[in-house]
Amino acid sequence: MRSTRRVVAGENDPGMGHYSDPPLLVLASLASGPKHGHAMIEDIASICGTRLGPGTLYGAIARLEQQGWIEPLPPEERRRPYRITAEGARVLRAKLTTLRQFTKAGLQRLEAL
Amino acid sequence: MNDRLAHLLVRLYPRPWRGRYGAEFEALLRTGRGGLRMSANVAWSAFREHVFPTPGLRIEQSPFQSWCVRAPWAMFGLAPLLLLAAAYFVACFILWSGWNIFLPGTNTPFVPIDGLANLYFQVGRLIYFSAPILIGWAIGLVARRQRLKAAWPAVGWILIALIGGTAQVRASRTAVLSGVGHIRMGFALGPSVHGIPDGLFHALVILSLTVLPYLIWRLQKTHSVSS
Repeated sequence: MRSTRRVVAGENDPGMGHYSDPPLLVLASLASGPKHGHAMIEDIASICGTRLGPGTLYGAIARLEQQGWIEPLPPEERRRPYRITAEGARVLRAKLTTLRQFTKAGLQRLEAL
Repeated sequence: MNDRLAHLLVRLYPRPWRGRYGAEFEALLRTGRGGLRMSANVAWSAFREHVFPTPGLRIEQSPFQSWCVRAPWAMFGLAPLLLLAAAYFVACFILWSGWNIFLPGTNTPFVPIDGLANLYFQVGRLIYFSAPILIGWAIGLVARRQRLKAAWPAVGWILIALIGGTAQVRASRTAVLSGVGHIRMGFALGPSVHGIPDGLFHALVILSLTVLPYLIWRLQKTHSVSS
């Protein structure tokens, strides 16, 4: 999955600690149900402290949609909600599993210090 | 965010991207707080989209729009000619059938006539004379709706004007042995009036009439942009 590095960070961003892989963040946000852009920004900010800029968010949405990992729903007024597809859920699960293994290995190494 | 600024920022994106995401993205920007950081984020993302376009992103085009882009020669050259040919065929058929129904004994349908027969012939006449202008207006309308440049529409207008201006209908009862009447169309510049061939003069009139609505629209557009 391609990472878009440009993220509008939170106020107390020390430079590390906020996960900033916008496509993965969008997939994780949509895993709890369909959302439109603004709801995604708020949800992502609440789960990991990263506040995506609108350009970054829609860059990720466009790529995810073209990959078939998310799909648009009928618009509500001018806002269009998106939902994760089965393929998107599979990719998210695989990615998070890899991250969990990475996290576990990293923490074990820290404990050994 | 300010509506005007949101609209301006969306315009920074490439057209295919705007076609797909522009409306909803603009709605998102309007709900945001705005500010320099957000504007910079959008401008940078738009720049990235120009340099690294989203793979596979396509505007959902109707087959008609797709033809306008992929084969403008067909939409603005061939299609108007076929339409004009069809209109002339209908007009000639009306002339021929009216001739056989209302004027069976005459050698030509171009004689003074009144009543229902006159009305019948006027329908054909209306189709014959209005077809180039209506088709020219249709070309301008399509060019306007698809926001195309005037090059290909101009080809269509010139072709239609030349054909419409130089077309001539001839009818003869004795041209064929059966005597059912024979309608023939030809194209000629005709005699000169004040140094300009008659056909060319008619072509210029048709061209002026057909291009006029498109020119007015372009002028209005230019005026609205400048103001």
